[in-house]
Amino acid sequence: MSLIQTENLTKIYGAGEAAVTALDHVNIAVNEGEFVAVMGPSGCGKSTLLHLIGGLDRPNEGNVRIEGVALAEMDDDALTKLRRQKIGFVFQFFNLIPVLTAVENAALPVTLDGVKPSEAKKRAAEWLTRFGLGDRLAARPDQLSGGQQQRVAVARALVSEPALILADEPTGNLDTRSGDEIASLLRDVTKKYGRTVVMVTHDPRIAAYADRIIFLKDGKVVDETNLERKGAADQIASKMKEIGD
Amino acid sequence: MSVRHAILGLLAQKPRHGYELRAAFEAVVGGEEAWEVKPAQIYTTLERLEEAGLVTCVSDLGEGAEPARRIYALAEPGRQALSEWLAEGVTPTHQRDEFFVKLIVALASGESDPAHLIQTQRGRLYQELHDLTTRREACNPQTEMAQILLLDKAIMHLEADLRWLDIAEQRLEEVRRQPLPEPELRRRGRPPKGDKGSTYPPPVPVNS
Ligand SMILES: Nc1ncnc2c1ncn2[C@@H]1O[C@H](COP(=O)(O)OP(=O)(O)OP(=O)(O)O)[C@@H](O)[C@H]1O
Ligand SMILES: [Mg+2]
Repeated sequence: MSLIQTENLTKIYGAGEAAVTALDHVNIAVNEGEFVAVMGPSGCGKSTLLHLIGGLDRPNEGNVRIEGVALAEMDDDALTKLRRQKIGFVFQFFNLIPVLTAVENAALPVTLDGVKPSEAKKRAAEWLTRFGLGDRLAARPDQLSGGQQQRVAVARALVSEPALILADEPTGNLDTRSGDEIASLLRDVTKKYGRTVVMVTHDPRIAAYADRIIFLKDGKVVDETNLERKGAADQIASKMKEIGD
Repeated sequence: MSVRHAILGLLAQKPRHGYELRAAFEAVVGGEEAWEVKPAQIYTTLERLEEAGLVTCVSDLGEGAEPARRIYALAEPGRQALSEWLAEGVTPTHQRDEFFVKLIVALASGESDPAHLIQTQRGRLYQELHDLTTRREACNPQTEMAQILLLDKAIMHLEADLRWLDIAEQRLEEVRRQPLPEPELRRRGRPPKGDKGSTYPPPVPVNS
C-alpha cells in the first residue's frame, strides 16, 4: 500500500471571475521509503499540493489518503493529531527561534506536544548528532551557517519520529554546496532511516537526488520520471550501441 | 586535445609500461565510458612518439617486444612539446547534438510531437544526472577530489542542457512559425569563374 495517495485532488482559490485552479484532479501515489521530488514552473501548484498532503489545507474536490486513511473524513482535531504524529515539515526559511539553542529548537515541537523537556532534548540531540551537529548542540541559529540551520530544521521535523517529511524548497535559500548537503541528507532520511520524503524544488541538481520526479504544470501532473533506470528500453539501447550505429 | 599530449604528461610523472599508460589515461579522464581509447591507439601513438624522439624506450626488451611490455620515458624534446601544450589555452569543442537534430526532424516532418520529444529527453537527462549525483556522492572528498571535480563538470553540463530544454519548450511555437533551416541550393557542377557560390534560382537583378 502507498503511504500517500491522492485521488482527483483539486484546489481552487477564490471564486467566480477571480477563481484560480491551483490543483486540477491530481492523482499521485508515493510509496514508503521513497524520495520524491515535485517540480514545475512557478505557480503550478507545488506548494498547494504539499499543503494538502500535509493536511494544512483542505481540497475543494478529491481526497488525500495517508496510510489508507482519508483526510477528508477527519475533523480538525484528528487532522492536527495526524500532522503531529505522522508528518514533519521543512521550509525554505528555516524558521528557527533565534533565542533558542540548536537542541532546544529541534526539541520544541515535541515539547509543545507534552513530551518531558529532558526526553525531548535527548531525542533532538540524537537527530542532530546523526546530522553531524553533535558538537553544536548549544549553538544559537545566528552562530550556525545556513546549511547547518537547515539541518537543525530537518532534525526538528524528525524528532516526533514521523513517517513522512514534506519539504518545500528546502535548499532555496542555500548555496550550491549546502544545498547538495541538505539534498543528500534528505536522501539519507529515506534510505538510511526509512522515512518517506516529498520535496518541492525548482533546482534540477537537487531533484536529481530523488528516486522519482513528478512534474506539475498548471495544476496538473504532466509527467513522472523514475531516476533509477533499469528499464528494458535502456537494455535495448545499449544493445544497439554494441551493434554500432 | 590529443592522447599524445596526455601520454607525454603521464610519462613526465615517471617512466611507464605501455599497458600501464592506458590504465593511467583512463583513470585521468574518468573511465572508459568517458573517453574510450583502444590499446592499439596507445601503442601506435607510443611508436610514433618514439620515432619522433619525444619518448625513449628504457627497458631491456628490444625492438621486437610488444609496446605493452616495454617501458617508456619522456625525452627532452617531449618535455618541450609538453610544456608548449600546457602553456596554450583550450578552445572548447562544440559537440554534435543528436537531440537538436531529432527536434528539428520532428518539427520538419511532423512524424513526432516535439513537445513530447522534449519531455522524453528531460527524463533521460534527469536519469543521467541522478547517476552522476550518486557516483559523486560515493566519492571520498579526502582522497578523490579529482574525480569529484570531473563529475561536477559533467553535472553542470547536464544542468545547462536541462535549462536549455526549458527554453526550447517555451520557444517551440516560435520555431514552428518560422521557416526551418534549408540549404541554399546551388547550380550543379562548377560555378563559373568569378561567381562564388551563386544561389539557385539566381537572384533577380535589381537595376535592369
Ligand atoms: N492563499 C491563496 N490565495 C489565492 N491564490 C493562491 C493562494 N495560494 C496559492 N494561490 C495561487 O495558486 C496557484 C498555485 O500556487 P502555489 O503556491 O501552489 O504554486 P507553486 O508551484 O508553489 O509556486 P512557486 O514555485 O512560485 O512557489 C498560484 O496561481 C497562486 O497564485
Ligand atoms: Mg511554492
